[in-house]
Amino acid sequence: MITVAPQVNNADTSKKLDLENLSPELTALEIKNLDLYYGDKQALSDINMLIPRGQVTAFIGPSGCGKSTLLRCINRMNDLVDTCRIEGEINLNGTNIYDKSVDVAALRRNVGMVFQRPNPFPKSIYENVVYGLRLQGVKDKRKLDEVVERSLRGAALWDEVKDRLHDSAFGLSGGQQQRLVIARSIAIEPEVLLLDEPTSALDPISTLVIEELINDLKEKYTVVIVTHNMQQAARVSDQTAFMYMGELIEYSDTNTLFTTPTKKKTEDYITGRYG
Amino acid sequence: MVRQWFKSGSPWIWMTGGAVSISLISVLGLLAMIAWKGLSFFWPSEVVEMHLQGSVQKQTVIGEIYDRELVPKSRLEATGLDFSNHPGEYIERLLVKTGNREYVELDFRWILSTDIQSQSTPAQIAVFERTKNGNFYGYVERVIRDGQVVTDNPLEALEEMVERAVDLNEEALDLQNGEIGHINYELERLRLKERAYQLDDELTPEIIADLEAQRAALREEYKVLEKTLFELRNGAKRDEVVVRDMRGEEVTLPLYQVLDFWFPNDMGFFAKVGHYMSQIGKFISDDPREANTEGGVFPAIFGTVFMVMLMAVIVTPFGVVAAIYLHEYAAKNAVTKMIRIAVINLAGVPSIVYGVFGLGFFVYMLGGSIDALFYPEASPSPVFGTPGVIWSALTLAILTLPVVIVSTEEGLSRIPSTVRHGSLALGATKAETLWRIIIPMASPAIMTGLILAVARAAGEVAPLMLVGVVKMAPTLPLDGNFPYIHLDRKFMHLGFHIYDVGFQSPNVEAARPLVYATAFLLVTVIIALNITAIGIRNHLREKFRALEN
Repeated sequence: MITVAPQVNNADTSKKLDLENLSPELTALEIKNLDLYYGDKQALSDINMLIPRGQVTAFIGPSGCGKSTLLRCINRMNDLVDTCRIEGEINLNGTNIYDKSVDVAALRRNVGMVFQRPNPFPKSIYENVVYGLRLQGVKDKRKLDEVVERSLRGAALWDEVKDRLHDSAFGLSGGQQQRLVIARSIAIEPEVLLLDEPTSALDPISTLVIEELINDLKEKYTVVIVTHNMQQAARVSDQTAFMYMGELIEYSDTNTLFTTPTKKKTEDYITGRYG
Repeated sequence: MVRQWFKSGSPWIWMTGGAVSISLISVLGLLAMIAWKGLSFFWPSEVVEMHLQGSVQKQTVIGEIYDRELVPKSRLEATGLDFSNHPGEYIERLLVKTGNREYVELDFRWILSTDIQSQSTPAQIAVFERTKNGNFYGYVERVIRDGQVVTDNPLEALEEMVERAVDLNEEALDLQNGEIGHINYELERLRLKERAYQLDDELTPEIIADLEAQRAALREEYKVLEKTLFELRNGAKRDEVVVRDMRGEEVTLPLYQVLDFWFPNDMGFFAKVGHYMSQIGKFISDDPREANTEGGVFPAIFGTVFMVMLMAVIVTPFGVVAAIYLHEYAAKNAVTKMIRIAVINLAGVPSIVYGVFGLGFFVYMLGGSIDALFYPEASPSPVFGTPGVIWSALTLAILTLPVVIVSTEEGLSRIPSTVRHGSLALGATKAETLWRIIIPMASPAIMTGLILAVARAAGEVAPLMLVGVVKMAPTLPLDGNFPYIHLDRKFMHLGFHIYDVGFQSPNVEAARPLVYATAFLLVTVIIALNITAIGIRNHLREKFRALEN
């Protein structure tokens, strides 16, 4: 099998950031000395990274390297795992999200998440999109209609579903369902959007649509994406972090990481020697 | 060859298929048997006139043939009869329903076919269905209207007169149960009110006067109604019919005791079908008569359905809430596991044990306390401290609780975690996720639990005998008197009705077809309840189809 280092489209070097010393106004998230244990087993060790605002950051690495786990730390989805224990900090806008005073529901409103498999609710398309707003007690019909249109347009789904907003969401194709889930997430206007392998269950055409969408999303949101598809990381992200066995091996702008990796492990991985 | 056949797996298919067929045949066979035996009872069978002579005195018998059986000759010869002229090993014996209970010793009798000299089915034989003493068979001799013999087309006149008497009786009964019953109910309430004032030491002369005035008004009303009632009853007594029975004697039947009459031997097929349908209709909609051996079973149907629905209303929220706690909130440890095992084992406790528990805990403790707290004026007669429909529903609710808990939990565990996470990731709390997503998605499973619970509860009889079912309930648990739903009342139940009619009845032969008919009805009611629930479940399933992928 011939392996070629993925082509990086995003060659705009002017945007290149100094990821080690990012100024606070450019930083969306700061991960500091993060350790995570499942029972006795350590799944993440000493992760330190700064995720820049308004950009797409990709986590790549072989299966089981902890990239999804790290992503789930950012909106505290790991709280749902009984045996999970976390040390260290993740700072969002200067506050540690693991602080006792933090309201987890409020945090999750601010940090949206899209999962591997499309998971629409057994409701209509409209109700799926307004779910988050209904939770917040928004009842104004005009406001809801407005948000539905804006979110569905934002997720590039409006034109396909505008005539059947009140049909079941299960009538949509997999790719449409995934865009609906994205629309549902952006309806509550989070700051950060976490995408956990959002295209792994989709066909190539739907994947392409989603990738284009990610490009648009970063204008308004900070996007963090986990993918096991290196080409995808190269296509959509500005920064890429390579993880291996629960450690952050290398983190730099996507162009550099894929063309001139500094670590041996990174090079081995992106040239397809393992993973 | 045989080895090859074994290896191919065909014997396995035959075995499994056979097991399914046997189950299916048993179920269908059972249903077919009770349906046939129960439903054929309503068919207007021929009434035969037989002239007997031989082992019995010379006599004529008129009646319906209910059953036939073959008796070994030797057994009959042992009783001193002589059958040397008859060929064969067996003699046929007929069971004949002769009716006319008050004039003959037995309204069912066995007749040896060898005694029958001749037999015919005259078209003029009439069957009278009466409110007392069962059917009467005979020839219509005279129709008497208000003391005058009707000569002009007497049968038509009779029909019209029977209809009139039935209508008047019905009107009288409605008056008695409706308005007069209402007045009695109000009088009782006034008595309790007075007693309550008395207990609180607040009984002032003004109150006494007021109550007395109300009472007097009610009594005045009662007198008027009573007069109407007597008028109706006397009106119904106007006409009578003279019938010649099988002894050849003329018997006068007052028409106010006659519900219906027909000439079964003179009926065409369609007339028979019509009669059959109307008899089934009466069975379903009428009250029982004569110690439940005649008439309909409406109060029992109503009681069964009402109790089961009440139970469903109690058990569903209770079971669902318990299942949610066990599945969503309880820590996943040994204690939870123990509780779960205990819940499942509860389903295996014999139902009579629940009956005893219900009587001790619900009726005497809970009901007794309610009476002491809220109904001191009714003392010493209990209101809730006696078996009643609410206690039956509660007892069956605990009996069926495990079923609902287990299937709800199963439903909860089938919901994909991605959907939960999706909701949580949008900033929903666990409770919000439960209410908005999880419970609606688990509703088909909850319905499945409810279906199983209803199926079990509708068939239970043993515990109910201790906590609320009676042979004959004078009033339904639902009527027009405030507060309309009377949860403290005793009720009738189809299952108990079967037991009562079949095994507690003085007239076994008359009761037997009713046992089958009631059994068939009970099965029908349960199936109807189940089909309704299944329909709702399928609708919900269609709505939350997400679970498949």
